[in-house]
Amino acid sequence: MHSFINFIMGPMVWISFLIFFIGVIFRLIGLFKQINAKENFVYTYLSFKYSFRSIFAWLIPFLPVSTRKSPVFYSISYVFHLLLFLIPIFLLSHVALLEESMHWSWVTLSDSTADSLTLIVIFSLIFFFIRRFVVPEVKFLTRLSDFLFILIVALPFVTGFLAYHQFFAYRWMVIVHVLSGELMIILIPFTRFFHMFLAPLTRAYTGSEFGNVRHAKDW
Amino acid sequence: MMKLKRFIFITIVILMITAFYSYSQEEFPMVDNLIFDHPQRPAAVFDHDDHNEKAGVEEDCSICHHVYEGKELIKDESSEDSLCSECHSLKTTPENGISLRMAFHNRCKSCHFKSNNGPVLCGECHIK
Amino acid sequence: MQESLTIDEKLEPDKKDVIDEGVEAGLSRLTPQKISQVINQVLTKETGPRFKAYVETCMRCGLCADACNIFLSNDRDPKFSPAAKVKQTILEMIKRKGKVSKQFLKDTVRIAHTECNACKRCSMYCPFGIDIAYMMLQVRRICHKLEITPLYIQDTVNSHSATMNQMWVKEDEWIDTLQWQEEDAREEFENLRIPLDKDGADIMYSVIAPEPKFQAGLIYQTAVIMHAAGLNWTMPSTPGWDNSNMAMYTGDFEISARIAQVHYETAAKLHVKKIVMGECGHAFRSVYDVGNRWVGWAMPPVDLVHAIDFYHDMLTSGKIRVKEKYKKTVTLHDPCNISRGRGLHNKARELVNILCESFIEMTPNREHNYCCGAGGGVINCGPPWKGTRMVNSREKKDQIERTGAEVLIAPCHNCHSGLEDIVEHYGVDMEIKFFGDIIYEVMEKTIYQEKK
Repeated sequence: MHSFINFIMGPMVWISFLIFFIGVIFRLIGLFKQINAKENFVYTYLSFKYSFRSIFAWLIPFLPVSTRKSPVFYSISYVFHLLLFLIPIFLLSHVALLEESMHWSWVTLSDSTADSLTLIVIFSLIFFFIRRFVVPEVKFLTRLSDFLFILIVALPFVTGFLAYHQFFAYRWMVIVHVLSGELMIILIPFTRFFHMFLAPLTRAYTGSEFGNVRHAKDW
Repeated sequence: MMKLKRFIFITIVILMITAFYSYSQEEFPMVDNLIFDHPQRPAAVFDHDDHNEKAGVEEDCSICHHVYEGKELIKDESSEDSLCSECHSLKTTPENGISLRMAFHNRCKSCHFKSNNGPVLCGECHIK
Repeated sequence: MQESLTIDEKLEPDKKDVIDEGVEAGLSRLTPQKISQVINQVLTKETGPRFKAYVETCMRCGLCADACNIFLSNDRDPKFSPAAKVKQTILEMIKRKGKVSKQFLKDTVRIAHTECNACKRCSMYCPFGIDIAYMMLQVRRICHKLEITPLYIQDTVNSHSATMNQMWVKEDEWIDTLQWQEEDAREEFENLRIPLDKDGADIMYSVIAPEPKFQAGLIYQTAVIMHAAGLNWTMPSTPGWDNSNMAMYTGDFEISARIAQVHYETAAKLHVKKIVMGECGHAFRSVYDVGNRWVGWAMPPVDLVHAIDFYHDMLTSGKIRVKEKYKKTVTLHDPCNISRGRGLHNKARELVNILCESFIEMTPNREHNYCCGAGGGVINCGPPWKGTRMVNSREKKDQIERTGAEVLIAPCHNCHSGLEDIVEHYGVDMEIKFFGDIIYEVMEKTIYQEKK
């Protein structure tokens, strides 16, 4: 058992990140190769100014009209995405482990803050889950994979939360927590989680077309 | 004003609950964590004699109570008279690159992993 | 409630029951091999990383739904959201590797050709900026290659390919129409000319083929404006005078490129400094944004000026002066292809304020305006689809009705016709006008003389 725990909390973490990075690089290279081969006109219209104008406009809460049409979903989604990165990166337990093995460390959230924030993430995911049943236009678009994405994101947060509170089966909770976290990292380059990298690119292109060619806003 | 009152009230309740829990758990010996300003977790459960008996390290105190000169481990010398925090400060220093928290964690976990025995996960020592 | 019920009963034919002879005949010719071969060719060979990124990035959040005038017009029926249209067409084609049934294709034609105005409003509502109009045009490309394009719009493309204009206007008819308008206009200005093929003129004026065919008066008005402003202008007598482009909307990109090419080559042949075009939106999109790219010009090779831009210049420079402002209350419809497509909405408002006494803003407006319901080639699918188009225009009807204005300015032919249909069908008491109509009515009809 100890060597298994040692493996998933040690080498497996690095293996996961390695797969993640190699996967991301592989996919991005593939993407740009294809652009060069088939659609190199993209560079003709791509403009840094308008790419970033569009990306920044979409990062400002409630600037885009679209976000004002669905304020609840948008707010929850916005906070959710922030916390999705913020909590794991600044969690004391994660930083402590990293410090002990790599001597890297940075500021951390207090455990109680992280605890409440994790609850926000879990409630966001429950909201997304329910929304897929309740909002007709979303329900129509939803497929099984959309629920799987919610599940995969929920697992590390729910198990992390339960493990922190040591409600039951502590050791197993931590094991599932670690493994599901690693699964999520590994899956990013190979699933629609890759929107993390593609979305800024599609946004940049649309922003460039709107700003550079059409002289119009795209938000 | 109402808010302040409510805040004080809630704080007192929380303090009483924590006091109660601290009192009720007093029978379990724990690592002294008073030096930490804002400990995030309960102190680690640790019964010195019981542990050493189970681990079979009663004879060799210097496994944990080691002495370093610079980066050199001084063999056959031990430091059971001094506190861990006398050398390991809260933050790493140029003289000592191991902070107190790290010293505690690594000291316990490295042995436990090696011997395939004993707690290795956060909540296995920092029991709520 | 009672009223809306009767309207629904009158208007809501089962959309699957619309019979389009072009589609039916095309479907009867298809074999399963041909279907999958064409679909796979377009989806793997003709599209590239952009298409793939759009398919793989969509998280199905449904935010695009609120962008779509057709979704809103159908009481938020989830089938009509932009992403749903992709799901019902492209995603299924990908999933089934092109092995789809004829009934599926029939639905596909209906969705891509008549339930999407390719107005690109949804790409402003998608947080990722996914260009769903582009996806729908790829579906139309597939329909084109399968030869199942709706009959009426296919006929306009056939006309384009045979005559380089959209309306089967013969060359002598074209010249004759221009000379007829010139003759009429000379009763107002005795020296007025519509100069044909004048080499080295400052401006080449181009129109869409429906103008000589049905609305020759618009050419008359423009001739008066050009003459009064004292401009050195010309119109080509040869093919290339028509800037419209329905092939762009049927996915017949080869013809689409030829149309844009002939247009620009005509301008080059006449050595003009710039092209000014009439009040049309899709034509502007074709020559400014789409057709030119297919030929290989990143941007228009000749300076291209839309009528709004041109009128704005005339009125702010004083070459055209307003005698008396237009009295009736007006509202303005921002055509997708020149607001979202070229950002001309602010100039259009300045123009309205120069010309008219009272202006009522429409909401939403500017880039966020709803499509007229006719755009993207939808109106060109013709009579079989008019009933559903009227249903799909309910949101637009409500929007224009809310303004309470007497006159609606629609500086685009497509919008103009679509809005005329809406106003007539729903009995909205509103006149639809071009900017040209109003300028002609309020301008001082003296000839501009440059101060020396």
